[in-house]
Amino acid sequence: MALSREPAAAAAAANSLDSAVKQIQIEGLVVLKIIKHYQEEGQGSEVVQGVLLGLVVDDRLEITNCFPFPQHTEDDADFDEVHYQMEMMRSLRHVNIDHLHVGWYQSTFYGSFVSRALLDSQFSYQHAIEESVVLVYDPIKTAQGSLSLKAYRLTPKLMEICKEKDFSSEGLKKANVGFESMFEEVPIVIRNSHLISVFLWELEDKSTVAEKHELLGLSSGSYLEKSLQMLMDRVDDMSQDIVKYNNYSRSLSKQQQQKHQYIQRRQQENAQRQSRGEPPLPEEDLSKLFKPPQAPPRMDTLLIAGQINTYCQTVKEFTAQNLGKLFMAEALQGHGS
Amino acid sequence: MSRFFATGSDSESEESSSAEEITPKATGAAFNKQNLLLSDDEEDTKRVVRSAKDKRFEELTNLIKTIRNAMKIRDMAKCLEEFEQLCRAFLKSKAIVDKEGVPQFYIRLLADLEDYLNQLWEDKEGKKKMNKNNAKALSTLRQKIRKYNRDFETDIANYKENPEQSAEEEEEKEEAESGSSMDSEDDAEESATAKSFMKKKPAAEAAPEASKFLKGADDESDSGSDDDDEIWGSDSTDSGSESEDNEGNAGSLAVAFLKKAAMDGDRMGDRKKEDRKKRSKKKERAEEEAEEEALEMEGGEWEKVKGGVPLVKEKPKMFAKGTEINTTVVVKKLNEILQARGKKGTDRAAQIELLHALAAISEEHNLGQGISVKIKFNIIASLYDYNPNLATFMKPDMWKKCLDCINELLDILFGNNNIFIGENIAEDSENLAVSEQPFRVRGCILTLVERMDEEFTKIMQNTDPHSQEYVDNLKDEGCVCNIIDRLLQYLESKGSTEEVCRVYLRRIMHTYYKFDYKTHRRSMGIQGESKSEQDQEESEGEDSAVIMDRLCKFIYAKDRTDRIRTCAILCHIYHHALHSRWYQARDLMLMSHLQDNIQHADPPVQILYNRTMVQLGICAFRQGMIKDAHNALLDIQSSGRAKELLGQGLLMRNMQERNAEQEKIEKRRQVPFHMHINLELLECVYLVSAMLLEIPYMAAHEFDARRRMISKQFHHQLRVGERQPLLGPPESMREHVVAASKAMKMGDWRTCHSFIINEKMNSKVWDLFPEAQRVREMLVRKIQEESLRTYLFTYSSVYDSISMETLSEMFQLELPTVHSIISKMIINEELMASLDQPTQTVVMHRTEPTSLQNMALQLAEKLGGLVENNERVFDLKQGVYGGYFNRDSDQRGGYQQRQGYQRGAYQQIISFVHSFTHPLPHSPPPPPSTDFLLFSFLFWVAFISVQLQISILCTSFSSS
Repeated sequence: MALSREPAAAAAAANSLDSAVKQIQIEGLVVLKIIKHYQEEGQGSEVVQGVLLGLVVDDRLEITNCFPFPQHTEDDADFDEVHYQMEMMRSLRHVNIDHLHVGWYQSTFYGSFVSRALLDSQFSYQHAIEESVVLVYDPIKTAQGSLSLKAYRLTPKLMEICKEKDFSSEGLKKANVGFESMFEEVPIVIRNSHLISVFLWELEDKSTVAEKHELLGLSSGSYLEKSLQMLMDRVDDMSQDIVKYNNYSRSLSKQQQQKHQYIQRRQQENAQRQSRGEPPLPEEDLSKLFKPPQAPPRMDTLLIAGQINTYCQTVKEFTAQNLGKLFMAEALQGHGS
Repeated sequence: MSRFFATGSDSESEESSSAEEITPKATGAAFNKQNLLLSDDEEDTKRVVRSAKDKRFEELTNLIKTIRNAMKIRDMAKCLEEFEQLCRAFLKSKAIVDKEGVPQFYIRLLADLEDYLNQLWEDKEGKKKMNKNNAKALSTLRQKIRKYNRDFETDIANYKENPEQSAEEEEEKEEAESGSSMDSEDDAEESATAKSFMKKKPAAEAAPEASKFLKGADDESDSGSDDDDEIWGSDSTDSGSESEDNEGNAGSLAVAFLKKAAMDGDRMGDRKKEDRKKRSKKKERAEEEAEEEALEMEGGEWEKVKGGVPLVKEKPKMFAKGTEINTTVVVKKLNEILQARGKKGTDRAAQIELLHALAAISEEHNLGQGISVKIKFNIIASLYDYNPNLATFMKPDMWKKCLDCINELLDILFGNNNIFIGENIAEDSENLAVSEQPFRVRGCILTLVERMDEEFTKIMQNTDPHSQEYVDNLKDEGCVCNIIDRLLQYLESKGSTEEVCRVYLRRIMHTYYKFDYKTHRRSMGIQGESKSEQDQEESEGEDSAVIMDRLCKFIYAKDRTDRIRTCAILCHIYHHALHSRWYQARDLMLMSHLQDNIQHADPPVQILYNRTMVQLGICAFRQGMIKDAHNALLDIQSSGRAKELLGQGLLMRNMQERNAEQEKIEKRRQVPFHMHINLELLECVYLVSAMLLEIPYMAAHEFDARRRMISKQFHHQLRVGERQPLLGPPESMREHVVAASKAMKMGDWRTCHSFIINEKMNSKVWDLFPEAQRVREMLVRKIQEESLRTYLFTYSSVYDSISMETLSEMFQLELPTVHSIISKMIINEELMASLDQPTQTVVMHRTEPTSLQNMALQLAEKLGGLVENNERVFDLKQGVYGGYFNRDSDQRGGYQQRQGYQRGAYQQIISFVHSFTHPLPHSPPPPPSTDFLLFSFLFWVAFISVQLQISILCTSFSSS
């Protein structure tokens, strides 16, 4: 279970980040709690969420505890989340648990987590508490044999844009934000107390290989299919967005042309008038005359692109792993025969 | 003058009744009534003679009278009202005025009224006293009359120059002409002396009657006249206000005056005079009352009379006693009756009665067939006229009468060969009397029969189809058909081709929708029936098919109006289809090219066309041509308005869409219930044929991204079925079909069969076919075949090879059939397999892409679209940009050409991906101004493609 990255590698990765948090250290307890939360409450494509508690030490964020949010249902629409959160944290303080709010976690379904909702809530978190992160837990991958837990933060550039709420294409261009530079992944280290580590070593010694067989599963079709399906949906969305953008830019250019013509005509007329000694025509407000068409917001497109990227990453990872497995299986077969 | 006397004497006239005779007449209400019913000849002729001019003028004079009355009591409001009416009435009689010139009395009134108004206007004090309403009316009226009189300026000037003469002339004229209005004399006198009169005591003349009385009094009491006058003058205001209430009721008004007069008389102490006055008063009153009554009666009568009810009155005796009844007299009478036709207020029932009576008379006097034919024509016509409204239908008794009449008419026509009838025979060239020459009668029997047919349709439309009444009415259909048949025979010998075409169409219209059970049984049951029965049947008449054929072919050859031919063709097709002669029906439909231009036809023909198409579709279904059935029914069913399109009922729509008028029209187009096509049957046939086509198609194109639906409606039903939270056993026909479709999807033909053909469906649908058993057998067979196809499509990837014997056992089909189905599928490249003849097995090639591969293909296609869209954005930004877009465009074109999901298609993706990824590094560096977003798109598209490549490689690896 102990999937802790090499600290050195993590540090190397962290160096490239220019944010307040360079590394995240998660207690094993938190990981188990998150997994348990999903297993008990989430099924299928349903998403579970919760709050992370901990504290910041230098540039390292230590997550020491967490608590879940109750599942939203239709019945309790008037459920006060903020109140619940405050109450929960107060209660935890009473039992001497870290009560500093350092972020939140959520589960994901085949890696589809890059959404507007995530962006908005992470923005508000990061806006309020600079160090906060979002932990994304992928239960399906975990079920396949490798724990998938990732921590993300919004990049400072994106924070700027969100703050200004300028999602036009010009704004994005100026800020130089692409889908790759929307989120930054923060390296995670899972830390256990020494006692637990010792216990785990001991367990590993005793356990047999058979218990880890899901790691070697060769069936890949359904996962790939599902991923492709979702990828396709996103691509469709993207196509639509592009068509929208296309229409917009076409109408914009048409209007530009009209505007240009208008100005030229005006100038000609004025020149004529001048030659006749008449006063030039009064200036008119061009922006009133030619209202620019509503530009489609680009943020959604960006998010879709980001989502597609994530899907591709997961597919890539998956296929890479499977390739290895297949070669291994082939070799084994050859060996056996 | 006793009542008896009144009844008995025809020669008695109102005119002759002098003043002395009035007294007994005062009780004559009953007498008058009697008079109305059996009024005497003399007066009637007088009445009939009365010209329109008189009528109009009387109206005018009446109005003028009331105006004068109102003037006298200074009731300006009334005056204004009446004046407006007068203007209107005058406008109405414009035609007469144009002919005769403006009547003097009219001019006189105008002049007087103007003078009078001016006078009032100048009388400031009087004006002050006037109440508000009156004052207002006065000013309006003054303005109005000024304006109005401008048109009559010269006339008025003439009149003013010498009022007396014109008045007298007028008087004379009036007396000579009408003599009816006793008051006109007074009017004349009054107007002559109007000014002096009015100055003295304008209100004293509240009513002409009163003034008359007053005059009488004046004459008789010369001595006290001055006093009288004064008193009257002083009283004037009061009485004026009083009389406002009772105005128009001259009698009571007179009483009021009488009292006053009596008081006056008392004061003067002149008993004798008073007595005389009283007497004269009484007398006059009585006279007036009587007159009024008479007038009223006349008025009441007039309402009835308008339109020649004078004749109604003499119902018992159509002709004066002793008149020699001959053809001319009868014709004259007939014309008189007919003149009333169509006029307002004509009692139509009475008119019909009259005509019947006339027919009886002519019959009685043996006036010959010519006249009776003519009268019959008119009776029938007036029967049709009975309902003023086109929407309402005939009452049963009327209908019966109508049928009888037509039958009688036909009898006469058949019985007498020398009667010519025709629409074109002019009224005056008719020959009704001279029996040596052939009779010539104007009228068109065909039109009458057509109208009768329409009436029949209307009756059927308006009867509740589920009542006994409907059945009863339907029994008349035989009668109608009979009449049409007889007419057909008649016209075949006498009528023109056009007429024959028309009557043939009628005949066709009554034939095409009926299933010929006789022939059907004959063709089916040669074995079952005994010889004698067959003979009997055969003697009953020819096949409807033969009749249809004969009639239609005649119309095709001879008809010159397009409509009749179109209808005939449609009916012919319908009839063919109804009797399962599919090929004839189809060929006729295709040859007629009706499908191209039916949208230009009028709605009833379109409805007929829709009915025909539906019938054609159902016929195709019975013959097992599922595809044809589906195509024929598609248009009707896909709109969801089958009911409306077939003219079998109105759909409940928003009322905004259709106003009442439109609804009425649409209602009139409805097809009577007994001609309806069962909508459930129609829908079931459509859905089942859609199922038989769609399910295998769906199975074959499961992964096709661009799969088209064959039948939207069927899909809709499937979706509705899926949405059901709890799936019970099917209830309705649709649910049955949906359940069957689901079973078929799995290739489970037995379940499918049990859902399509069971007790419920039999009673609901299949038993409605004449050859139900045959249809069911056909259906089972189709279900088996299509299930086999579906099974092979769905599960071929699971098999390496299948034995055909197993298949034939599974689907209960003979081996050759299975063989042929599979061969067909292989030839059409629907199934990637080959037949192994010695072992009788199907060997699968297993080249179908797996679902993952299919998905990858789809994704590739989508990405292609995406890139194209992206390029378009790029073009817009940059103008057409050279570089790698153009370079790889031909490659992409090649890719698109090669699309179509052949085997090994993922190699295409790879080539596509290559074409996409490889040029990228070598492409010229993007100009700095380029929207970097675009490039980000391009980059990640490339990125995805690479990953896709890997994933596909991986899967192909794993599957090998």
